[in-house]
Amino acid sequence: MSLIDLVVEKIVKIPLESTDKPGVIRELVQILKDAGEIDDFDAVLAAVQEREFKRSTGLQDGIAVPHGKTKAVSTLKLAIGLSPKGVDFDSLDGKPSNLIFLLVAPPGMSGPHVEALAEIAKIANSKAFCRSLVSSSSSQEVVELMRE
Amino acid sequence: MNKPINTIMVYIDGTEPSIVAAVYAICLASYTGAKLIVHYVINTKAMEDLLRASIFLEDEQVEYEHDMSADADKYLNYIDELAIKKGISIVQKRSSGSVHTEIENAVKENDVDLLVVGELPRMRSRRDEFFDETERAMRTLCCSVLIVKNEDKVWQVYESLV
Repeated sequence: MSLIDLVVEKIVKIPLESTDKPGVIRELVQILKDAGEIDDFDAVLAAVQEREFKRSTGLQDGIAVPHGKTKAVSTLKLAIGLSPKGVDFDSLDGKPSNLIFLLVAPPGMSGPHVEALAEIAKIANSKAFCRSLVSSSSSQEVVELMRE
Repeated sequence: MNKPINTIMVYIDGTEPSIVAAVYAICLASYTGAKLIVHYVINTKAMEDLLRASIFLEDEQVEYEHDMSADADKYLNYIDELAIKKGISIVQKRSSGSVHTEIENAVKENDVDLLVVGELPRMRSRRDEFFDETERAMRTLCCSVLIVKNEDKVWQVYESLV
């Protein structure tokens, strides 16, 4: 499964309203709930929070990848949030995060989960592409960029 | 005359398209009498990349590797059961590393004539051409490659096997 298969407008939010890490994670899980991608909001939130508690998933250059595994989903779920002002995500370089990918997977799909995360890692390495994503003004624009 | 297909290998990764590919490969093995290798690759290369990118913690990497190993057993055994029901014996193969490299190596080592893979995602981006491990393997392999489509028809063919 390719990451692009998961990217549709309803799972992209611009701009994120929350101004702190816990709020952003809740907001992204809520996007999945509102999009009909998940039923059990609390279980998904707990899975992502549990991983985040071990160490922040805030990477460098404004990217964060909160993720987790839970039986509350049967397939991979992705939500993307953009915060033009940036959110303190306890990132590796101390910079605020602007582009946040939240990924949740069921326990029995570790392979596709790892490959989706690896795709995000490669996206994170492309600074020009990330700049384009962060400057997007609509969900549609994000989807189009991802599909280019 | 030499048979065109003596050895078939199907690559599975636990996704539905890869399982359908394996089912079709069982059908092909039944009709051709070819040896069937079912190959699951534990993508440790991706996990190393994630650890390097600080997305994974070390214990998370260990946990995922363990999970993927369990997934490999689960899916290989599932395909084995499907094959046995149709009187076909398969060779289970699991390896670890970079998916496209492991597929290429297995094709060479086992003198594979035909690689069978699941349907590729319909939506593609330019980035996917570089990221998709199966597609990357297909471009560089020395054997023919069959992409399996139409899940319903594949299962019908499988069910019709005696």
